Amino acid sequence: MDSYIVLIISCIFINNILLMQYLGNCPFLGVSKRMDTAFGMSMAVVFVIVMAGAVTWVVNYYILKPYDLEYLRTLSFILVIASLVQLVEMFLKKNIPALYAGLGIYLPLITTNCAVLGVCLINMKEEYDFLHTLVSSLSYSVGYGLALILFAAIRERILLARVPKPLQDTSIGLVTAGMFSLAFFGFKGMIH
Amino acid sequence: MLKRVFREFIKGLWEEIPPFRLVLGLCPTLAVTKRVEDAIGMGLAVIFVLTCSNVIVSSVRNFIPKQVRIACFIVVIATFVTIVELVMQAFTYHIYQALGIFIPLIVVNCILLGRAEAFASKNGIIYSFADGLGIGIGYTLSLTALAAIREIFGYGTFFNIPVFGPSFKPFSFMVKAPGAFVCLGLMLCIMNMFKK
Amino acid sequence: MRDILKLFLAVTIFSAVSGGLLSLVRSSTRARIEYQQLKFVKGPTLKEIMKGCQNDPITDRFKIKVGKKEETIFVGIFNGQPRAIALEAFGKGFHGPIGVLVGIDVKTNKIIGIGVTTHSETPGVGARVKTDPTFRAQFKGLPITQTFKVKADGGQIDAITGATISSRGVCNAVNNAIALYKKLRPEILKRLKNFKSKTLRS
Repeated sequence: MDSYIVLIISCIFINNILLMQYLGNCPFLGVSKRMDTAFGMSMAVVFVIVMAGAVTWVVNYYILKPYDLEYLRTLSFILVIASLVQLVEMFLKKNIPALYAGLGIYLPLITTNCAVLGVCLINMKEEYDFLHTLVSSLSYSVGYGLALILFAAIRERILLARVPKPLQDTSIGLVTAGMFSLAFFGFKGMIH
Repeated sequence: MLKRVFREFIKGLWEEIPPFRLVLGLCPTLAVTKRVEDAIGMGLAVIFVLTCSNVIVSSVRNFIPKQVRIACFIVVIATFVTIVELVMQAFTYHIYQALGIFIPLIVVNCILLGRAEAFASKNGIIYSFADGLGIGIGYTLSLTALAAIREIFGYGTFFNIPVFGPSFKPFSFMVKAPGAFVCLGLMLCIMNMFKK
Repeated sequence: MRDILKLFLAVTIFSAVSGGLLSLVRSSTRARIEYQQLKFVKGPTLKEIMKGCQNDPITDRFKIKVGKKEETIFVGIFNGQPRAIALEAFGKGFHGPIGVLVGIDVKTNKIIGIGVTTHSETPGVGARVKTDPTFRAQFKGLPITQTFKVKADGGQIDAITGATISSRGVCNAVNNAIALYKKLRPEILKRLKNFKSKTLRS
């Protein structure tokens, strides 16, 4: 049980996928200008990362490893993620239109969100078992969502401020993200 | 024709230099620019993958059904990424270890899919080659510049050779995650000043 | 229907060509990748254990099948003779398994040196089992007839201060390596008899 709690805290705060491991920055800066888009994107990311984490674990340990095909990992993972996103999109459109209305437009963007492939690869590198994989995928994606939503809240304020011209938009976004990351650095002391 | 090839090549070095003008591929820009050595390794990997995938995508662009083109592009890119991964593992193992999961993550670097979709799938082989090479070299230059600043101040070294005297105290903020964000943000700001 | 078939065919052809190409690259780089991995992960430790040997123990390695697993044996040549072998085993540390490479002189059955290869112990505390030279020097020259224990368990090894569990893990790894060696000894001696080094220096 202890190992799960440590894993959850370390994935959400200490090794925050966005601010500490630098993954998924392009959509981070793209959709964080407004709160509602940030929220929609976060939910979609949580959804896809947890599913992708589970499926890629099965692919890795039941297909790639037994047949010594681990060099095809990158190729098979990205194909799995791309088709998963496509399937989820079709499923939601047909069966849960309410959810589709909320997440639909973010789903295609997620295939090229490196946080998804990144989390799957980290899970394999750390050699987690299935349950740990699920917990770590969930925590990493929650950490991503948390950072994204908090950041969007700040960015809405920045839009009201008078920023020097060359610093506008992505530039000030990155500097703010740096300050944010500095704040997350404070969590480093939590687990020895 | 030669003139246009040259133009496609040169635009990647300044006019559309990623990640400043073409704000794509930020994750590796932040992650692998702790040391100049790693940045150049990453840059070379991107140059290889981008040039090869551009050429292949451009040469088969008329055979790919439109609905599955993205999937096909991804397969092409992933193939070259895996080749780079294997070759790096075999010949430059320490750079492979330093770059870690960022080599397989080249697959989802938006620059590659972006160029395949926006350029290579619409233009001829030679132009696509020039475009891939130009953008790739431009990206490498940006990575190297950022890495040089971070390494010099963060570790006090350049290419692992000390540049300051022994009394220099490294400014380790620069090589940590927050420093990466702030540095890139300020560099982007400086680049924006040149834009009219 | 025909359209869908066409789409399917396109993706399949792409994947097949890519798979074929990759397996080609893979098979041509395989041996070198294995060598590089051993060199960077185990190389520094191996070099220290086999100090003064006349060959490259990484190139001069062979594998013995034990059940489903393959054990890699590194061979060190001293005075022109393949006298020493090194093999790796694991013991449970504070945060996970500790991998220890143990070098054994096959003539005298004494330990010529040990070294930690992989571990995830706490930096500055448990990690000192890898970095502290006096800790690992304690094993040197001891015969393999004994079982290694830390002094707290009534043994002969001084544990690193504040890292008894990590030190115990190393002892257990050494014991496991010795057990493995004893089991494989006839096979190892047979292989060493006709051993031809590819990297012998005079």
